Amino acid sequence: MNTQGAHSSEFRLLAMPLVLFLLVFLGFPAIVNLIYSVSDVSFETLRQPRITGLSNFAAVWNDRAFWQASWFSFRFGALTALLECALGLVLAIFLSPLIERRSWLMAILMLPLMVAPALVGLMYRLVLHEFAGPVPYYLWAWFGTSVSFLGPTSAFWTLIVVETLQWTPFALLLFYMAYRAIPTEIVEASAMDGARRWHLLWYVELPLMAPTIVVALLIRFIDGFRVFDNVYVLTGSGPGGSTASLSIYIYEAFFKQGAIGKAVAASVILFAVSFAVLYGLNFIASRRKGALR
Amino acid sequence: MGKISLRKAGKQYGTVEIIRDLDLEIADGEFVVIVGPSGCGKSTLLRMIAGLEATTSGQIVIDGHDVTAALPVERKLAMVFQSYALYPHMTVRQNMGFGLKLAKLSVGAIRAKVDAAADTLKLTPLLDRYPKELSGGQRQRVAIGRAIVREPVGFLFDEPLSNLDAALRVDMRLEIAKLHRSLGATMIYVTHDQVEAMTLADRIVVLKDGRVMQQGTPHELYENPANLFVAQFIGSPKMNILPCKRNGDGQLDLSGQGLLEMPLRSDAAPVQLGARPEHLSLVAPENGHCRGTVEAREYLGGTTSVFVRNPELGLINVSAPADIGFGIGETVGIHIDNVRLSLFDAAGAAVIASP
Amino acid sequence: MINALRWLVFAIAALAMNFPILVTLVTSFKSARELSTNPGLWVQAPTLDNYLAVFQVSDRLNIFLYLLNSITVALIGTTLAVALALPAAYAIARGRLGERTLLPFIVNLRAVPLIIFAIPLYMMFQWLALLDTRLGLGLILSIVNLPLALVILVNAIRDLPGELDEAALMDGANRRQILLRVIAPVCRPAIVTSLIFGFITAWNEFLFGLMLTTSKAVPITVGASFFFAASGGGVQWGVASAVMVVGALPPVLLGLIMYRQISGSMTAGAVKG
Repeated sequence: MNTQGAHSSEFRLLAMPLVLFLLVFLGFPAIVNLIYSVSDVSFETLRQPRITGLSNFAAVWNDRAFWQASWFSFRFGALTALLECALGLVLAIFLSPLIERRSWLMAILMLPLMVAPALVGLMYRLVLHEFAGPVPYYLWAWFGTSVSFLGPTSAFWTLIVVETLQWTPFALLLFYMAYRAIPTEIVEASAMDGARRWHLLWYVELPLMAPTIVVALLIRFIDGFRVFDNVYVLTGSGPGGSTASLSIYIYEAFFKQGAIGKAVAASVILFAVSFAVLYGLNFIASRRKGALR
Repeated sequence: MGKISLRKAGKQYGTVEIIRDLDLEIADGEFVVIVGPSGCGKSTLLRMIAGLEATTSGQIVIDGHDVTAALPVERKLAMVFQSYALYPHMTVRQNMGFGLKLAKLSVGAIRAKVDAAADTLKLTPLLDRYPKELSGGQRQRVAIGRAIVREPVGFLFDEPLSNLDAALRVDMRLEIAKLHRSLGATMIYVTHDQVEAMTLADRIVVLKDGRVMQQGTPHELYENPANLFVAQFIGSPKMNILPCKRNGDGQLDLSGQGLLEMPLRSDAAPVQLGARPEHLSLVAPENGHCRGTVEAREYLGGTTSVFVRNPELGLINVSAPADIGFGIGETVGIHIDNVRLSLFDAAGAAVIASP
Repeated sequence: MINALRWLVFAIAALAMNFPILVTLVTSFKSARELSTNPGLWVQAPTLDNYLAVFQVSDRLNIFLYLLNSITVALIGTTLAVALALPAAYAIARGRLGERTLLPFIVNLRAVPLIIFAIPLYMMFQWLALLDTRLGLGLILSIVNLPLALVILVNAIRDLPGELDEAALMDGANRRQILLRVIAPVCRPAIVTSLIFGFITAWNEFLFGLMLTTSKAVPITVGASFFFAASGGGVQWGVASAVMVVGALPPVLLGLIMYRQISGSMTAGAVKG
């Protein structure tokens, strides 16, 4: 396209509102974050932060709850991503012949994606409630016993199931689209080569879907890692902080403990790590693309 | 109105030179076709003239005004794109009137101009349709109509016929030629198809690697190509190129396969001889300038292309009468009409008669 | 045979994934008395009492306010995001501006834990008196919506032939005119998709609603949780269910109507982003 000076200044003008908006609503907060993270500050002294160096970071570093929350977030992200993608992949391929002919089936499967995770979390409070919830009710009726789903021992796995059931449709949708996008010629060619169904799946279809699988795993891991809404409304930080994700840890440090410095320092750490990882991934992805060309 | 000059115009992307020091004078009302293989820079050149692509060195002058840095609209040129680039959300009438509307003409004036252009192009019944409701040929005409209404000093065509099927292409070619006659406006037309170039152009400019290889009337280029590249690019089927040498008697030695009188007076030492298929004829083996065996024949209806293999000269394409009797594997003689030959030196430049 | 198995798997999957929605829907039609004896999936005596109760405004609970707040903040968050993203997407796709800086940054924004920005934004909003206002929440939701809107629009514009812009340039349009009169109308499907998608995302957002609002601008996702706060005799499950049905309905309906567009853009946003 055009590279003439007059045009590029026109383009710059068009991108300007977005850039200004980001500077105000993200740039400014980022600076506030950085300043407060090295300051002694409370709700009373919000406007006069006193620079104290890295003590907030030290506090976070030495906080067992921070590491517990990091470990929860990581485990939660990894497990839900794996489960969602595994389930989604199997369902997408197995149900594809049905959905191909009746696309409204996909609408039914996508329904959970439309509901706010916070509301879904609240819904499970009903579903799992020991008196009003149908799950304990049927467990008692059929097996004569039930589980304390949100109790200390099962809360983590309950949350995993809740998250997985809501977001498997996302993986399913992605994989279904990728599966349908495999050119029929390739499938027919491998059939002409005498490939059996399993061979076709293993040597042709899955490799072609591999990029989508990687992307889905990544997206689901990220969303699981930063989980807040449904965990917060279901168990909060849980018994002994056992179900506190990093997002919940920061939220509670700020709102419940008023430990602004600590919360902000944790934010800055999370910010730095997130962007480092994301830009690292972008870098790898762009190098991969370059290699393929 | 409509005199376009390029003075040492150049285009560089980073370190890559697309167009270098290109000089071109286009007279008012002239139909110039820029032709060349893909990647030769012909589309870039057209877009530089249009102002869609920055000119990084030299000047572009239209009617005495330096427009090198001017916006496209200030150059008063109109362009017809390869993909037509009609606005899909506008009717034919709105498509044609868009430029006038931007120029803030009155609704009535726009209407009159669009109606007039539509009349010329027989688009009147289609004015309220959307581009997706039109055939390829109709879209092409709308694209031309959109160019006409603005009454530009010159028209730029970027491979306008390449998306049409073969039959329609011939019709549109005739229509564009007619349009040029009736409007009398300057037209610059880019194509890779040398048939379009030959049939439409007042003057053809052959471009290769951003340089002008030769410019002239179709006749000049066909009869007197300035170099090997033009010789092979212009003309279909392609010109045969045969290795040759000048011997002590001033004759052309066809690599020991035959002798030929020099077709022109020159002291130069040609190394290659160019002969168009229609300037060769098949004769009995003992009568030709050289001989070979028939390797393949392609019956074309009016004529037959006979491909004759000579061990030293390679495969020679001879345009023969359709009902020629020679069969595959037969040995034949080739007669060369040495008045119509082209000769080239070691650098690929044409050898011309000494004064 | 295999097809019957497929239907079975589909039924189980659909039931499992939609189970909480189904239970909530069923429960919302149960009377308080029935609930105490029958927590199962069947309604013996369907009643609309819960819905009537939900729409009873009290000092503590005002569902009309929550719905109005959600609609307002979702509209602000959606239209502002698209209004900012469209010209920027055009500059990125056609002017090759910020392709390696702005675009990846905003796309990465989609993956960053939003809590990072929540605390400084809370302080900033306190200074600007934007806490507990619809405008404030709407502004933040537009940041949430920006990444996907930008990716959808950049892809849509990249898919258009560049000759379209050039034809308009030849016709004498400047970039702003090209954007408004050519690109925007041609990209209408992509714009509609980003609006719908943004609306659903904004409606369903919870974290910022929780942090930045307290009473006047509380959105339905946060307001719904108020119904769970036990008032005397524990949670009224029927009423709470009705609230959730009401709160989930707008995005679900939008999603069902537009699921084709949404599924397409989800894939685009995921794969190309």
